[in-house]
Amino acid sequence: MTISAERPVDVEASVPPANVEASKGRAGDWLSQHIGTAIICGFLGYILGHWLGNYIGNTYGNIANSGQNSIAVTLALLFMVIGWLLGIGALNYPLAKMIGRQPKGEVEYTGWSRYFRYNLDHKVVGIQYVVAVLGFFFTGGLLAMAIRTELLNPTVHVFAADTYIKIVSEHGTIMMMMASSVVVGPLGNYFVPLMIGSRRMAFPRIEAFSLWTFVAGYFVIFSALFFGGFPTGWTGYAPLQTQAGPGMISYLFGFAVISVGMMTAGFNLAVTIINYRAPGMTWSRVPVFVWSMIATAALLTLASPVLFAAGTFGILDRTAQTAFYVAEHGGSSYLWENLFWFFGHPEVYIMALPGFGIVGEIIPVFCRKPLFAYRIAAAGMIGVSLLSFFVWQHHIFQSGIDPDMRPLFMLTTELISIPTGFIFLVGMGTLYKARIRYEVPMLFCMAVYFNFLLGGVSGVFLSDVPVNVTVHGGFFVLSHFHYTIMGGLIFAFFGGLYFWLPKMTGRTTNKKLGLWHFWTMFVFFNLTFFPMFVIGLLGQPRRVFTYAKNLQGLNDFSSVSAFCLGASFLIFVANLMWSQFIAPEKSPSNPWDSLGLEWQTATPIPAYNFERIPVIMTDPYHYSEVGAPVLADFGNAPPVHAASAATDSTDPDQ
Amino acid sequence: MGSEENHFRRIVIIWVVLSIAGDLLFWFLVGPHIPPGRMTSSAKDDQLDFNILMVIGLPVVIGVFEWLAYAGIKWNARNKDTPESVGGPRAAGNKRAEVSWIVITSVVVIFLAGFGTVELYVGSGSGGGEGPNPILQPAGAVQAETAALAGTGTWSPNSNEVLPVQVIGQQWKFTYRYPTFGGFESSDLILPVNTVIAFNVTSLDVIHSFWAYQLEVKADANPQINNVAFTRTEQLGSFEVRCGELCGIWHGAMFNPGHVVSQSAFMTWATSTESKNAANTKILPPFAWTYVPDANGADGGYYPDNVVPYSPVEVYGSKQPS
Amino acid sequence: MTDIIKKSDTPEEREFELRAHIGSIWSGGRLFIGMYTFLLASLAFSYFYLRSSNNGLLWRPNHITAPTAYGWTIYSLTLLAVLMAIYGQSRLRKGGVSEWQGAVWVGVVASVFALFLQIWEFTAVPFFPGSSGYASTFIGYSVINIMTIFIVAYWLETTVARSLRLSKELGGTAPLLSMDAAAQSFRANVASMTYFLGFVALASTLLFAMFYLL
Repeated sequence: MTISAERPVDVEASVPPANVEASKGRAGDWLSQHIGTAIICGFLGYILGHWLGNYIGNTYGNIANSGQNSIAVTLALLFMVIGWLLGIGALNYPLAKMIGRQPKGEVEYTGWSRYFRYNLDHKVVGIQYVVAVLGFFFTGGLLAMAIRTELLNPTVHVFAADTYIKIVSEHGTIMMMMASSVVVGPLGNYFVPLMIGSRRMAFPRIEAFSLWTFVAGYFVIFSALFFGGFPTGWTGYAPLQTQAGPGMISYLFGFAVISVGMMTAGFNLAVTIINYRAPGMTWSRVPVFVWSMIATAALLTLASPVLFAAGTFGILDRTAQTAFYVAEHGGSSYLWENLFWFFGHPEVYIMALPGFGIVGEIIPVFCRKPLFAYRIAAAGMIGVSLLSFFVWQHHIFQSGIDPDMRPLFMLTTELISIPTGFIFLVGMGTLYKARIRYEVPMLFCMAVYFNFLLGGVSGVFLSDVPVNVTVHGGFFVLSHFHYTIMGGLIFAFFGGLYFWLPKMTGRTTNKKLGLWHFWTMFVFFNLTFFPMFVIGLLGQPRRVFTYAKNLQGLNDFSSVSAFCLGASFLIFVANLMWSQFIAPEKSPSNPWDSLGLEWQTATPIPAYNFERIPVIMTDPYHYSEVGAPVLADFGNAPPVHAASAATDSTDPDQ
Repeated sequence: MGSEENHFRRIVIIWVVLSIAGDLLFWFLVGPHIPPGRMTSSAKDDQLDFNILMVIGLPVVIGVFEWLAYAGIKWNARNKDTPESVGGPRAAGNKRAEVSWIVITSVVVIFLAGFGTVELYVGSGSGGGEGPNPILQPAGAVQAETAALAGTGTWSPNSNEVLPVQVIGQQWKFTYRYPTFGGFESSDLILPVNTVIAFNVTSLDVIHSFWAYQLEVKADANPQINNVAFTRTEQLGSFEVRCGELCGIWHGAMFNPGHVVSQSAFMTWATSTESKNAANTKILPPFAWTYVPDANGADGGYYPDNVVPYSPVEVYGSKQPS
Repeated sequence: MTDIIKKSDTPEEREFELRAHIGSIWSGGRLFIGMYTFLLASLAFSYFYLRSSNNGLLWRPNHITAPTAYGWTIYSLTLLAVLMAIYGQSRLRKGGVSEWQGAVWVGVVASVFALFLQIWEFTAVPFFPGSSGYASTFIGYSVINIMTIFIVAYWLETTVARSLRLSKELGGTAPLLSMDAAAQSFRANVASMTYFLGFVALASTLLFAMFYLL
């Protein structure tokens, strides 16, 4: 019997994923699943796992003798994460599927309680990510303040040696975990469907799952502080990793959890961008931010499994007593180095590419010019993404790797600066002879170019093997990656936040506070990290609590600037609180007069994004063009506050 | 038409002037003082390499900064005489600009990769650790190293022989063994001037990194691995050794001074230390590239104590006892 | 979510959403294969890297090998599950729904049994986990294989459970073969799953050879 080709079936009957009874829940539904139940179930899971680990492990000699039970810690954290996911409702559908049922009572919540629940609207997930990411960032930032306090004086120590190294390790790890999702999570999830003219993400449940896993990862890595911390820095080198106390499990397992979050987020983004582009949106009409998202998603999905494996092997070394990373027992410390950096290099491009995308998206709006060399921007991002898998050994040039590899990796690393440079071509070309409105988002984008230039050029120095001998392992490389990651990505993130927040929340941000935030952040960021190039050249290693006395002046300058940099974020927080909660002002639908598809929606954006799925006619960069084609056909619904292409009105209300 | 050329031409002229000035200033005023100095051949090589990179990098930085400044001053909407932006296909791309950019960046980058490779070869690894099978070795290194292991190595002033020095890293101290002088172990790192030194870096526990700053030598110390790095001392003086890879709590305290002395002074020190330490050297493990416990117990079989490995678990291949 | 469905009320839009959804299942399945490849490649890399380093001459003293009986059984069961899925898919294409269901149920049982054996194998290994490089990588392989077989069993089971539910919900003569959106989605899922399982068979063969035959 062949597949029936009878009458066309009414698709409305069940549009996949086959649907639910949407009953509206009341905001005060305390007995439903929300973050409270997640915390409770996570806590219970933790206790269960810890007890189980003690039950299993207490008879083992090495555990009884040392008093440290890594098995208990591992199981405690594992069950905590599972409990957390169960509590929030992330596992309802996977479990229900096993008995072939839809999860009962998948209710639709409205109101503020949505943000504390497992919600399938990509816009809600985006805002949840904003909060999560800012939480990570401020935690890591406080730890950074502690580091700079310790480094004020080479002989007077604020922290004990082991406390200091824990703080350094925790700072690095939290920041890296945060930075891998800082743009993809909040802005990617929120805006990619809108930018491609879609009503939804391909797999909303996987998207929400990635958020709640990300938050769980935060708790896991934070738990290190309660287990005595870990001494290896964010790079986790073995066998120090094998020697360390139980806090090391928080690192290893934390990375495993975060890598799952990264994989799921990237998976969802990639599949959405490939399949859910609105009719008419060919690849040459895709906004450059979306290009950066798909390039990033490729790395997120393919590189994170390697981290997952590396972390799993590390946990096995510490619990099952395998010897993956212990040379004396048939393992190899280089195995960790290679696995970690094979992930680690794409990881830093996971951090750089979204910054490029944001900058490419925002600059045309404020220049009122099309993005210069759009195809080169897209090619650059794909090129960076591809090449990033071939450069990892530049992190370990002097480790004792096969010396034949060194010129090879030097070449590939130098080559990757070619596509990276494309973003500068695109930016400079767009700025050329424009009439630039220096609003707060635009200032952040200019700062990205300034900072990433220094970061990128210092990267070329590092890629050169002879010079690498001078600068590896010290403050030069530290300054390099702070310039690229913080100076590039984080500045871009804030620029994107200032740009898109009025659309996300419907409330303008305060311009004056924004300007104060930008200038203090930019000036003090450079004052903090530029001297570190010099400090590094003068021989101060990383992760040390003491240094040569003659470097104290520079260190102090850097530390004081760092405190001011930290303070600049308070201005941001004040802006956020004031403009979003305390004295909010309604924002017009398209305050920046952008041609982007995401701006051609009402504010606040309705749950279904677009009244009709638009038919795309051209790319969104036709600024200041006489006779420019219309962006899209929105069907019966009139385009809401469509921006004018031909004029460069500075009046946001037009 | 006129004003279009004006902008670009103006930018280029300013850029050329600033770049030449910057490069000259850097090369003559700052360059000679760039760390780590000129104490060894690798220090000189790497300093040159750094300066070349800077001379190429400065114009890039100047160019972009100048463009951004120009955008802030001349193309600013606040400026009343800034003309309106013009869109359209001419603003969206410019074949000449795009192709020039791609070609110039590719050429520069490939040149740098090639130059770096040449510097690496010329400098016999430029002071970086090359692992246990180095491919870039100065003349005489292979013989000296082989002889050192066999215990037949010699070194004397004015002999132009390579001096092997073993660096042993452990938590949290570096010690140094001199195989050509009986294999004595010392906390002091004294080296003769005008000599090629072969550093053999290993670790007893976790990963450290031997970073002799002014010598411009950096090689990670891995357990069970002999990481070899070469340099040639060329000036007398003191230098600082710091651990360059996080190795635990006291990583920051893992540093010691070192000295490059005249060849005769070194010979005196080495031979007198050899005889002074003779009794100690006898009970040390014999000189080897790495020191790790072997498969039959933590004592590694080095100490002739006839003690059975303390745990049957340590006899590999057997089942864990119930 | 119902808002979205209600708003998608032009036939073109519903058709578009359906096509996008089917395409997502196809892309997602292939991407998942790519991700899993990198995970398994990490394991394979560890195996070959430790083998070539042979630190302390402790890569594989006495050519120690994990119990081959377990290995053969687990491998065969996994292969059986995959072959059942492939066979079932070909029958489904020709309209044999119940044959497909039967084949997949066999696959579920086989993979659950394989999962159990893979876990139980830990009690039967004749070596201490840290005694050699081979031992360590073997333990790593076992853990990853547990995960793989679990995914296989889960995917098979949930797909066949879904087929039972859909048959009931959609009604009609051959609900799963109809052009109904849910049925199309179901068939796309089956296709992606079979493809992934094919990959698992290939990967399992390579890993089995590495750990038990070499």
